[in-house]
Formats: sequence, C-alpha cells, structure tokens
Amino acid sequence: MSAGIAPARAREAALLGLGAVTLTLGAGSVLLLLGGYDPAAAGAAMLRGSVGSWNTFVSITLVRSVPLLFAGLAVALAFRAGVWNIGAEGQLYAGAVGGVWVALTFTGLPSPLLVPAVLVASGLAGGLWALVPTLMRLRLGIGEVITTILMNFVGIYMAAWMVHGPLQEQRGVFPQTDRIIEAARLPALIPGTRLHIGFGLALVIAAVLAVMLRRSRFGFQIRAVGASPEAAAVAGRINPARVVFISFLASGAIAGLAGGAEVSGLTYALYEDLSDGWGYTAIAVALLGGLRPGGVVVTAIFFGALQAGAGAMQRDAGIPAAWVDVVEALVILAVLGLDRVRAARAATSTVEGGA
Amino acid sequence: MSDPLVRLRGVQRRFGRVQALAGADLDLRAGEVHGVLGANGAGKSTLFNVLGGLLAPDAGSVEIEGAQIALGSPRDAWSRGIGLVHQHFTLVPALSVKENLALGLRGRSLAEISRVVEATMERTGLRVPLEASVSAIGVGDRQRTEILKTLLRDPKVLVLDEPTAVLTPEEVDGLFDLLRELAAEGRAVALVAHKLDEVLAVSDRLTVLRAGRTVLTTERVDATERALVAAMVGGGVADEIALGVHRMSLKPEVPALDPSTVVARLSGVTGDRLSNAALEVRAGEVLGVAGVEGNGQHELALVLAGRVRPATGGAQVPDEVAFIPQDRRTEGLVSDFDLTENIALALSRLDRFGAGPLMPWSGLAEEAERIRIRFDVTAPSVATLAGALSGGNQQRVIIGRELALGAQMLVAENPTRGLDVAAAAYVHGELARLAAEGLAIVLVSTDLDEILGLSNRVVVMTRGRIVEVPENERTREGVGALMLTGRSQAG
Amino acid sequence: MSQVELTLFLESAVRLGIPLALAAMGETITERSGVINIGLEGSIIAGALGGALGALAFEGAGLGVMSGAMAGMLVGLVFAAFAIGLGADQIITGTAVTIGGLGMTGAIYQARFGATGTELSLPTLAPVAIPVLSEIPLVGSALFAQAPTAYFAYLMAPIAWYLLFKTAWGLELRATGEAPAAAEAAGVRVRLVRLVATLFGGAMAGIAGAHLALAHAGTFAENMSAGKGFIAIAVVVLGRWNPILVLFAALFFGAASALQFFLQALGFDLAYQIFLAFPYVLTLAALAGWVGKSRAPAALALPWEPHR
Repeated sequence: MSAGIAPARAREAALLGLGAVTLTLGAGSVLLLLGGYDPAAAGAAMLRGSVGSWNTFVSITLVRSVPLLFAGLAVALAFRAGVWNIGAEGQLYAGAVGGVWVALTFTGLPSPLLVPAVLVASGLAGGLWALVPTLMRLRLGIGEVITTILMNFVGIYMAAWMVHGPLQEQRGVFPQTDRIIEAARLPALIPGTRLHIGFGLALVIAAVLAVMLRRSRFGFQIRAVGASPEAAAVAGRINPARVVFISFLASGAIAGLAGGAEVSGLTYALYEDLSDGWGYTAIAVALLGGLRPGGVVVTAIFFGALQAGAGAMQRDAGIPAAWVDVVEALVILAVLGLDRVRAARAATSTVEGGA
Repeated sequence: MSDPLVRLRGVQRRFGRVQALAGADLDLRAGEVHGVLGANGAGKSTLFNVLGGLLAPDAGSVEIEGAQIALGSPRDAWSRGIGLVHQHFTLVPALSVKENLALGLRGRSLAEISRVVEATMERTGLRVPLEASVSAIGVGDRQRTEILKTLLRDPKVLVLDEPTAVLTPEEVDGLFDLLRELAAEGRAVALVAHKLDEVLAVSDRLTVLRAGRTVLTTERVDATERALVAAMVGGGVADEIALGVHRMSLKPEVPALDPSTVVARLSGVTGDRLSNAALEVRAGEVLGVAGVEGNGQHELALVLAGRVRPATGGAQVPDEVAFIPQDRRTEGLVSDFDLTENIALALSRLDRFGAGPLMPWSGLAEEAERIRIRFDVTAPSVATLAGALSGGNQQRVIIGRELALGAQMLVAENPTRGLDVAAAAYVHGELARLAAEGLAIVLVSTDLDEILGLSNRVVVMTRGRIVEVPENERTREGVGALMLTGRSQAG
Repeated sequence: MSQVELTLFLESAVRLGIPLALAAMGETITERSGVINIGLEGSIIAGALGGALGALAFEGAGLGVMSGAMAGMLVGLVFAAFAIGLGADQIITGTAVTIGGLGMTGAIYQARFGATGTELSLPTLAPVAIPVLSEIPLVGSALFAQAPTAYFAYLMAPIAWYLLFKTAWGLELRATGEAPAAAEAAGVRVRLVRLVATLFGGAMAGIAGAHLALAHAGTFAENMSAGKGFIAIAVVVLGRWNPILVLFAALFFGAASALQFFLQALGFDLAYQIFLAFPYVLTLAALAGWVGKSRAPAALALPWEPHR
C-alpha cells in the first residue's frame, strides 16, 4: 500500500497545494473569528514577523525553515517508498546528540574536517535511530507508525538525559551542553545574517533527491515499491525489503541532519526541547509539497514563515503560538480532502462490478 | 402466464466514461430458471448489482411484484425478497461458517438461526461445516455457504452470478438440480453466465445482454446456439472465432514437440500451498495447468516465473521468464504509473537499454511506443496512466512488455479473465502463435475450456500436488474427475 | 521493599494504567471495525481540557468527565469525517488530528489562562473505596479505592467483550473490520458502523483524558497526554483486540510507568529521564516479543468505498 496520497503530476500537485493553502486560510480565519480574534490582524502580524524585511526573511524565516526542510525531505522520501516515517522528531534529536558529541569531543580537528564530521555523525545517528523501527517492520512485520512514534519519545528523553548528565556543561548548572568551539560551527551562508550553510546543504540534498527519484534506477525502484510493492516484486522483480531498508535509513539520516545542522549552525549547543515539533510539522511540509523535493523546498519556507510569524502573532495580535499547530493540522486535512476530490474525479474510466 | 416477479426496464448506468448499462430489460418469473448470457463486459453483473441494491441506476425502473421500488442498499433488496449470490464470494474469512450465515440477520436469536440453518440444510441437501472458519474450507463449501446464506432469508428471487467458475463438472450438475428444485418451489431463479452450454442445460428462458442492452429474450425450446452466440457478440467479430471462443475448438496447429528441449524443471517443491510439486516445461509446447482456484496455482506460477524461490525442493527456471499475472491491477501494473514507467518495470534491466545508475528513459519511451502500436493498445500516448486503461488494453500492455523480454518461457495466469470476447480471442491467438514459434508456455487457468482448447499437455493441481492428465482423458469429464479425486473430501 | 511501598506502587500502577485502559478499550472497538485512529492522542488531550473546563464550568468533576467524553468524541468526529466520510488515509488523518488536537488545546489553554498559566485548581474526582473489596490485603486499595472512572473501566471490559463476541451487533462490527465488502453485501451499513465505533473510541479516550486531569493530576497542562494515545494503540495490539486482555495489558503498562517509584524504593538511582523513557521502550519490546501471536482485523486501515 503506498503512503497515503498518490503524488500527482507536478502541475496537479502544485494546484492541490495552492488549494490546500487557500482552504486552510479560510478555515483558519473562521476558527480565529470564533475565538474572538481578528484574522486580519493575525495575518498582518504573521506577515510582518516573517517577511516584513529582508533581514526578517533571511535571518528568521529561512533560518526557521532549515530543520523543516531537512525533516520534510526525510519524510517525503520515506512516504514515497511507502514507509510511514512519523519518527523524524526522534531521529532529529538523535542527530543533534550525535553531532554535538562529535563537536565537543574532537576539538583538536581543524574546521574543514570537524564540520563535516559533525554533520556525518548527525546523519549516522539519525539513521541509527531509524534502524529499530526498520528492523521491526522488515523482520517482524510490525507497522512502523507506532514504533517510530514511540522512538520519538525515547529520543526526546535520551537527549534530555544527555544534557542533564553525560553531555552537560562544565559548570553543571543548566541542562545544556557547553557551547561548541568555533571550528565546529557551520559558517554563514550569507555573511552578516544568521543563515548558515545548513540551508545550502539542504537545498543540495533536495536537488539530489529530485534527480534521484526522477532519473536514477534506484529512484525508480523507490517509486515503484511505494506505489505498489506487489507489482514491483512481480513485474519489476525488485526486492521491496531492500528498497524499504535503504529508504527508511536514508530518511532517518536526513532527519538526523536536521538536528545536527541546527546545533552546529544556530544554537551552538544542545539543550532540552531543541525542537518545536519539527518532526511532526515535517509531515505537513512533505504532504503539502506533494512529496516532491522541489515542492518540499517551497513548503518548508512557507512553514518557516508560519513559525517565524507565530511569535509576532502572539505579541501583536495576542494569538497563542500553539495556534500554528492547528494551522499545520488544517493544511494536512486540506491536502487530504482535496486529494480525495482529485481521486474521485480520476476514477472515470474504470468499470466497476461488471463482467 | 403469471406476472413477472421482477421487471427491470430500460436500466442505465455509467461509470465515468463507460456506459455499463444502456437500457437493459429483464423479466424474472416465478417457477422458472432464467439464464442471462453475455460476454465479459456486457453488463450482466452490473444489472444484478442494481437489482441487489448495491448500485443505483441512472435511469430505468425496477419493479418487484408489480410495485416500482428504489433500492437504496443491499438491506432494501433483502427486505424485498431479492437474494443475490455473488460471483466473488462475500464471506468473511476470519469468521466461522455459522457466523457468516448469521451475519446481517437481525431480529432472530442465535438459537433460532441455528434451527433455521439446520432445517434449510436438510431440505436442500447443502451441508456445510458450521463451526469451521471460512478461511479453512474449500471453494465448494464456500459456494454452498453463499447459497445457504441467501436461502436463509427465504428469497422470492434468487440470482446466482457466475457460480460455476469454481466448481468441478460434477458439482455443477448438483447445483443445477438444486436450482430446478428451488424454481419448482415457486421462486424466480436467475443464472448469470458467459458459458453457453451450462446455461442451456438448466434454463427455461434465456436473455442475452450485449454492450449494456438486452438484445434477445427467448424460450429455451426456441433457442439455437448460433443465434445466441450471434446475439452475444454481434457484428465485428468473425463467426468462427466467436464460436471457437465458446466451443474452444482452437486446437494448437503444431503438435507437441518431442521432449528434447526442457526449458524449466521443478522437483519436490514444497512451500506456500505447494506439496511436492514436480513439473517439466518444454520448448514450443503449451502446458495447461488446470484446477479449481486455491489449490496452489498462483504459488506455482510465481515459482515457475522465477519471482519466488521455493522453500524446499529444486526449481530450475530460465533467468528471464515472461509472466502475465492474474491480478493485472495489483501484480502486473502500477496504476499510478504511465505506460512507459510500467514497461520500464520489467524492461529497464535489459542490457540493450544500457547499464549505469540512471534510467534510460528515452530508450524506454521508444520501446513503450513501439509496444503501444504493435499490440494495438488503445491509449492516447505512452504518458497515459495505466489505471485509466480498460482491462483488455492493460492486458495488451502486459503481454507486449513481457514478450519484449525475449524470454524462452511464458507463464500466463488466467490471461483472459475479465476480458471481453474480442480481447480474449486476441490473447488466445497470441498464445497459439507464440507456441508455434517455439516459446514454452505455461497456461494456468481455472477455465477448463481455455485449457483444453489451447494446451498440448494438461496437468491438474489439487492441494498443491501436480497430476498429469493422460492423453485419452483430456476431456471436461476426465479432467473434472481428476480435479475431484485429487481431493480427499467431496467439496 | 515494605508492604506499604508495594501497595503504593500497585496503587500508582493502577492509577497510571486506567487512562490507558479506557483509551485502549475504546480503540479496540474502533479497530475491530477496521479503523485505526492515530488521532486518539488528540481525543485524550481534548478530553483532558474538556474535562477541566467542564468541571470548572459545571462545578463538578462528574460533569467534567462527561464534558471530556464529549470533547473526545468531537475530535473523533473530525477524524471520522475525513478518514471514513471522505475515505482519506487513516494514518495521515490521525496524525493531523493529533497535531491539531494538541495545538488547539494548547492554544485554548494559553488564551484562557495565559502562557505561563497559574496552575488551575480543579474539582477533582475523589477516589471512592468499595467496601470489603478495598480491604483485600495488598491489591484491595490498589484496585478498589480508585476514582469512579476506574470502575467504569473495569465494567467496560466484560461489557465490551460481550457486545463484541456475543451479540449480532458485535458480529456486524467484526465483519466490518474483516471484510467490509462482505458485510455490505449482507446488508450491514459499513460506514455507519465504523462511525459509531470511532465515536465510541473518541468518547472513551475523552474520558481517559478527563481522568488524567481530574483524577490523576488535578490540573491541566499542555501536552499532558504525553503519548498515552500511542501507547494505547500498542496496548490494543498486545491485548489482541480483546477488551478484557486489553484491560490487563493496560494495567501492566501502568505498572511499567510506576516502576520508577518501585526502583527508587529498591535503591536504584537512575536518571529521571530514563524512567520517563521506560514505558516507551517497554512498549517497543513488548510489540517485538508478542509478534505473530495475534492478528489484526483484516481490513484495518484499508480505505473502503461503498458501491454506488
């Protein structure tokens, strides 16, 4: 069974995305009105807080979008392969832990070696975090939805334990690590702003995934297994288990990069509650982007804007920041609803129940 | 002549772009067995799904006992005394036979239901193992359970949709006796089929549907085979082919080659539903594998086609085996992929498209176009999604693709299932041609006529075992008997 | 470990297990009809907030529980509208409902009580000791001196079991979850059955949430459901979709959560976070260990369209 929605042709996917955003804006406004808030003021505050100025856009919105971009690509890749990776949150934390550990341990290395080492470590850690659900699915036939969600909780507590214990800062006051040294930090992508090369790396990964899915043999196998594991095995003589294994772990690794890039590019340390539910937001990002890497880039920036604007929304229009989660949910539901409409209209030429 | 119990007039129904029913009429009278004939796709099942409350008609009327009714659901149909026995079993595998019988019977206690079940089993002679799980019983028992389920509700009208496909010839006779009895009790019995001789054997009156319309209604005594076939296929398909399809007199032109070139060999294969299966397949022959569904044919096909490695035993099959699976939509094609991508599924591995990590899309697109034209696939272009094609065209794509593999062997599983007459004739023609050209073909089919009409050699599968049918027993009765004796209990 | 400590442990075990039991029993019925509701977490948190607000508004914990049930059912309705009504993918719909539920409850709470809210003080569901039974040594007070919602859970298990396996309605429900096409042909209204099953599950989860807020914590905090909805879904698997076994599995998990007190009392001194992670790790291990011994309803999570 393929993962949820059939990524339609690019044009259809874009239309669906736009339609979903429109529906969400509408539904969201209604809910705000019901709550006694002013949707217009909310919208204005959100815009101001996200794209109000060049600096806001680059140093806040784009920066916020980096982990969403990594995680969104991770989720999109998994869903394309028919893997329900709801565990990007845990994989992200694992990646953050792995990355920060390398940054704190190998302080003797020069920057050109240390920075990639940090990123590779975070990717490996994320992939490793996906290993348990992967094996449980492939060896034991246990659905990965619940196992990845459970691993999320384990990941969050594992990271919390790390910053309370083994990785805690020298002076032992706060539950956080020491700040990582200069050599381990990601340089800025645009000098003078907070936007680090993590953004560039994410874009590169998006491009690689896009080319892979469209043009490579393995990408084709991923799409086939995601669309119909039976046809892939029988008609294509593809081994679905192998494809699932690689895709699942790769997805975990990319999600791990989200954590690693955040720690080495922005916060320069690990603390509790690093992520604001990015792993779950990534699902909305991936779906709204039609599970296509190019679409995910656009939607990640969109959600980055949402999260960036949420703070302004709270200050200026008094709307609680948790509201952004509601918007995410509305987006997913809108995409699902519109996809069903698309499917109903596409079911035109098949004859039912007739012999 | 009493008024008909059921009167369907001018029923229309379309699915998207396909007009499944374009004005069909039917009268069902009490006390008669009415045969409804038509090729695959003529609209028979659709018409009865309307009568059974599963589908709403776009136009036309449904009259039951003189009153015009709009049937909103199967429950409505049940309450009006319409009992539909479906083509594809509507039993719940995980539940017991007794639970399946009780399902949907409201207002009666379980004890009462048990009593009625016993009484009905007595009366009709249909015995089923009540406590067994449906997943564990054989096809014959399931058929009987389906019929019992319907009879429990004491229907005035009983409709059976293609009931004989999964029965041995002996079981078919038993069923027909039962139908005559039920009709004699004053019910209206309708039998839907596309097999001419069966329907002729049991019906009092006949109706022929073609392209969603009623084209002929006649008493049995007045009916001739020729007239019925002509009504079923209409113009456009040569009479001989049409008759041939129904009589299955399409004997292969080249007799079986001497047993020199063995292309595939299985010995002692045991596993998923296979029990010590042994088989040899030779070049240029059509090997027919007959048997009632569920005896391991699908598993055998997958092993022969090299898609599955058997748990134990030896399987020597060629590296490349062309495979036409019976489930086109789930195992043969990816509905959301276009023609090029579906063809790429099987062909992209071939050397002639090049090696390397990238997909050779331009070469594959050319090949897809070539196949589309050569195999006459009705599709606007190779960018059409496979899910949008009709069954017959999907089969053409699969055949074209698989043949392009250049394999020595072809395994075809129920290749004409769900296809209309012309498409079925096409497939049979292709199979005969390929065998004549030296391809080794394994034809796995539940359609005995198809097997007998095309095969040089026939084997029967029962309970995972393979039994060869001697030359002199290659008839419906002979093969049927083998299918029966291979099983340890009747039904 | 002294008897007092053991009794405390058992009391905690039951208290922590009850919300799981309530939610899991509801989800058992839902899944038996072929629907997997990942949005259960959303129903629980909605029930917690609904319970809290209801208890405040109606000045009574009992009415609070009813409000919680309604809130949980409402969330279930949203899920059903998309997953059953539109036939949208159940997994993704459930994920959206959970994200939305957590966000909505968080937003409403923040709006009413401020972002750094002073702790709500709610009318609580006091434990009610059942005479005689609660006197049983060791387990008496653990099992029979709990909030009324616990007794509701105990009663629900055999009732649900009976309904599921001994009544015509239960048969229809099970048929819907195993082979909806067959059920439809037999005259069962598949979507209606699934809707009712989902609403029931939502209501039970709502009661679970209300129990969390009113009987357990005595207040509401954002995200206080802490993944119990997901654990409940795993508990359904472990309980083999049988309401009575599910009750036991849930209590077992309550014990796992209560383990931190047990181990601390025994002198182990592991980090707090490891104890927090323990229930989830245990769930994973249990899923891995129990595999192959139970079978899900055949049509679970598969989309289904009625003929028409």
